[in-house]
Amino acid sequence: MAAPYRQTFVRLLTFLRPYKWSLWVSVVLAVGSQACAVLMAWLTGTTLEQVLTSKSEHDLWVLIGAVFVVGVIRAVLMFGRRMISGNQALGVEFDMRNALYAKLVRLSFGFYDRYQTGQLMSRATVDLQTVRFFLGYGLIFFFQHILTVVGATAVMFFVDWRLALCATAVTPFIIVLAYRYSHVSHPILRDVQQRMGEVATVAEENIVGVHVVKSFAQERAESQKFEQRSEAVFRQSVNANRQRAVYVPVLSFLPLLAQAVVLLVGGHMVASGELTYGDFFFFNVLTLMLVMPLRMLGMWIGQAQRSTASGERIFEIMDEPEVIHDRPGAVALPPGEGRVRFEHVDFSYAEGRAVLEGIDLEIAPGDTVALIGHTGSGKTTVASLVPRFYDVDSGRVTVDGADVRDVTLASLRRSIGVVAQDPFLFSATVRENIAFGVPEATYEAVERAARLAQAHDFIAALPDGYETVIGERGITLSGGQRQRLAIARALVLDPRILILDDATASVDATTEAHIRTALREVMRGRTTIIIAHRLSTIALADELVVLSEGRIAARGTHDELIESSPVYRDIYEHGLLERELAERVEARGDEVAA
Amino acid sequence: MRVWQPGSHLTMQRGAEVRDWSWRRTTRRVTTLARLTRPYKLRTTLALVSLLLAALTALIPPFLARDAVNAIQDDDLTKLSWVVAGFVFAGVLTLLTSSAQTYLTGWTGERILADLRNRLFRHLQRLSLGFYERNRAGVIISRITNDVEALDQLVTDGVTTLVQNSLILVGSAVLLFYLDWRLALATLVVVPFMAVATALFRSRSSRAYSSVRERLGLVTATLAEDINGMRVVQAFTRETPNQRRFQEVNEHYRAANHTTVVLNGLYFPFVDFLSAIATMIVLGYGGYLVFEGQTSVATLFAFILYLSNFFDPVQQLSQLYNTFLAAVAALDKIMDVMDEEPEVLDRPGAGELPRIAGNVRFDDVRFAYGRGAEVLHGIDLDVPAGTTVALVGHTGAGKSTIAKLLARFYDPVGGRITIDGVDLRDVTQASLRRQLGVVPQEGFLFAGTVHENIAFGQPGARREDVVEAAKTVGAHDFIERLEDGYDTDLQERGTRLSLGQRQLVAFARALLADPRILILDEATSSVDIGTERRIESALEILLAERTAFIIAHRLSTIRNADLIVVLEHGQVVEQGTHAELMTQRGLYTALYGDWADAA
Repeated sequence: MAAPYRQTFVRLLTFLRPYKWSLWVSVVLAVGSQACAVLMAWLTGTTLEQVLTSKSEHDLWVLIGAVFVVGVIRAVLMFGRRMISGNQALGVEFDMRNALYAKLVRLSFGFYDRYQTGQLMSRATVDLQTVRFFLGYGLIFFFQHILTVVGATAVMFFVDWRLALCATAVTPFIIVLAYRYSHVSHPILRDVQQRMGEVATVAEENIVGVHVVKSFAQERAESQKFEQRSEAVFRQSVNANRQRAVYVPVLSFLPLLAQAVVLLVGGHMVASGELTYGDFFFFNVLTLMLVMPLRMLGMWIGQAQRSTASGERIFEIMDEPEVIHDRPGAVALPPGEGRVRFEHVDFSYAEGRAVLEGIDLEIAPGDTVALIGHTGSGKTTVASLVPRFYDVDSGRVTVDGADVRDVTLASLRRSIGVVAQDPFLFSATVRENIAFGVPEATYEAVERAARLAQAHDFIAALPDGYETVIGERGITLSGGQRQRLAIARALVLDPRILILDDATASVDATTEAHIRTALREVMRGRTTIIIAHRLSTIALADELVVLSEGRIAARGTHDELIESSPVYRDIYEHGLLERELAERVEARGDEVAA
Repeated sequence: MRVWQPGSHLTMQRGAEVRDWSWRRTTRRVTTLARLTRPYKLRTTLALVSLLLAALTALIPPFLARDAVNAIQDDDLTKLSWVVAGFVFAGVLTLLTSSAQTYLTGWTGERILADLRNRLFRHLQRLSLGFYERNRAGVIISRITNDVEALDQLVTDGVTTLVQNSLILVGSAVLLFYLDWRLALATLVVVPFMAVATALFRSRSSRAYSSVRERLGLVTATLAEDINGMRVVQAFTRETPNQRRFQEVNEHYRAANHTTVVLNGLYFPFVDFLSAIATMIVLGYGGYLVFEGQTSVATLFAFILYLSNFFDPVQQLSQLYNTFLAAVAALDKIMDVMDEEPEVLDRPGAGELPRIAGNVRFDDVRFAYGRGAEVLHGIDLDVPAGTTVALVGHTGAGKSTIAKLLARFYDPVGGRITIDGVDLRDVTQASLRRQLGVVPQEGFLFAGTVHENIAFGQPGARREDVVEAAKTVGAHDFIERLEDGYDTDLQERGTRLSLGQRQLVAFARALLADPRILILDEATSSVDIGTERRIESALEILLAERTAFIIAHRLSTIRNADLIVVLEHGQVVEQGTHAELMTQRGLYTALYGDWADAA
């Protein structure tokens, strides 16, 4: 084992630390139950000898009684072992999940920019499953099997070392072979899974994109493509199967060989009087007992390797630095009216690729500023720095005079309401979604926010009103409805600063007018930063800030900028107008459809 | 590979249910499967033979062990050697036959499944758009993935388990009775206990595991949702309550799992205990019989060896029941899809559509989806070749239905659609669609390279032509900038490209196919301004010299159209050019008027 590999393995074991006590108890119970198994084998051999040499019927009944007693004790010990280690396994899994979640919650936006949901999910499900299976069940079984093999072998050597040598000659071969099988089959089986995934992808595309396939009359070509993928699954499955056909029968054959050797050599020894019948039978039963543990040992070694690899991927996340966190001694954001200042702010997502350069911006309390610019000009980034989703590279961002890095994240973010471009809603009730930032909000507060955001009417029309679960029973919301819920969600916080990424989703004209009124209402007395994509929202702003390549290109009112700023003129003529129309047409349509 | 999907925990399968156990249905299931094995008769037969042989040879060794003990007792060492040789020989036989069996059953099973998958896919390709609109995509996809997989377990493992374990069980019992029927009878007393315990355990644990799966699904779904929405969670400082909620869900899962721990904790030791009881009976009653001189120690020894054959098969067989139910349910669902017939069929003797100029006529076309209400009420349109038609109107007015009818995804209920005077129903679908180009909203792309996506309609297209098409629509520059240029793998649905870039690739695809008639559904989502301009000019090139039907959202598109058709409630309410319609002060003006004023 390489050093980092061993380190990961040892580190995985630390998850067992809280269960030290139960671990020891289950080890003791496992030792006990395996000892019972060996005892049972010995009793079987001795009884058969008793019967053969027909000593006394009385001794026979004593032995039979012993078999029963040992059987009961073993069952009780096994039950205890399973209950204790089973609960311990569940505990380990529970702890690992919670630890991972706790970590994920603390990781900052930068981390989520780098990792896709799918990647994180596969670590949190597949990798975690592998690790917990090994730590929870594998380790105990592994230990129990080693115990059985070592114990039974030791007993054999104790009884007769020559026969023991014969009987255990195949042992290393079985372990090595089982390990090899687990080692070579794993990549192939994983490949089968992956190719199944490819089959699913082609099927999915063809089903979701059926209109494209049909309109280009490509049914035949797509069928061929599908069959190729499907045949690849077949070929690889057959490969996996071929391995199975080689290894598994051999693995079953080797113990049989051991049995044959015991019969032959043991038989000769019995005949020459070197071995008693009792020990002969004892050996036979012990050989039989070893079959399963030997095969499993090899498998568990492979399992240990895989779970270490999975563990490594999990630790990769657990070791991610938590970039954004409260500075020691951070205080709550002091009360204020919501003055926002950017002082010489430089920022980049990745080193060497500046996104913002020397931003200086002051937004007076209660003012509304619209940020305008092409894609990639940095307008979303500017807005993200206020709630400290990222930290600046140099310069500082202050809210009411306090550097955002000097105050607690909780107090800062509770004072800022954020409405994202494509608002993410949770599959919870409407009420829970609106009260997301203030779970203890009263029903009245939720409804007030919904009314302000022009969302009350459509919510009331939902089957269960505010208690309707979003996403359930096919209840989906239109883009406009989602946006209004997101606005309500931000309003419940009663924030001093509002950040609004003006959604591109369409809202019908009437609602849009309502939202505009609502926004005017909610902006009153709050500092508002709007990332603007359309004309109507620009009209709400006191001042426009035009961003271009990470710098402030111009600021002023619409009338001023249309004269002075070529960047603004370009955006105005070619972006905002066109989109305005597209949205309006679609919105009108939705209105009718609804 | 099972892919996690949002909300999947809400619709998770709650165990398989098979309602129809009628004789007819059952024979159909069997014949469906039997028909699949037909091309591989030889292999199937060989698989079954090796399966039988493997199970039978596995029964021999314990029997020979008895003879070995007898030989030892008789002090006949030559006989012992022979018996042990036979023992090893039986082992070798098992080795060979089970190896052959594993390979052959695996091969046939996988082959049958691959065939089934392919047939199912080809059948799906034949079905009309109506089928896809009636059924949710997720459901259809799971037919070809999850359901085939459920069948896989039965075909590859299930059959083997069933035959092998039943044979071993029955064979062992027969041999035990042959060895000593009284002892066999006494020993097998434990079997009913075993059977009852196993049945109880199975039903309890299948319930427990389905609850575990359900709750694990909830854990996964919660996790996925929170990872997706982590930015919102953090923006609203919900870290602590969310963490608490996650722990709750996690705890729920643990509680459900606890039941399985208890069940396993009770069952497996109990089975072990039963085997101790069986050993006790063999030794006690067997010992008594030996004392009475009615049986031999060698027989007792063979009994002990056979006993280990008994417990494993019972457990394996009981497990099979669930696999079997799931597979039958899956087979039923697959058969239902195979029974679907395409609604749009080529008429017998339908000819090829000759190269068209592109004069499109709708004559009093009426249409309804399935048995639903009529959605088009007598559409009349006369579109000369080369015309760009902009379809405008509210959602649900019938714009996309008209487009679908033109591509003959559906047949009209009344009236007719002709191209160059030929009724669409008189020609083959393939020959019609080869001359049509469809650009869907958002430009649907496939996993595969950029080249493959552009050449989608012309799989054999040369690189020069693909590049030419990409250049014409202005997609060449960004394609060149991708790491492998035209050979860059776009991955699922082309998610590596931005929305605007996907549209441009879709334009290039349509251009390369060089259709006579273009059907274009303009995207409503916004793209950045540079791309917007490129799309505008690409559109101009694409529309030149062909008939085009556009479900239009862009002002410039509509203004430049030769003919604007305004639809309302499935009827054409206005048609004409922009200038003409603006003077009518009708619906069109209402739609665009206030904007025009604002501009």
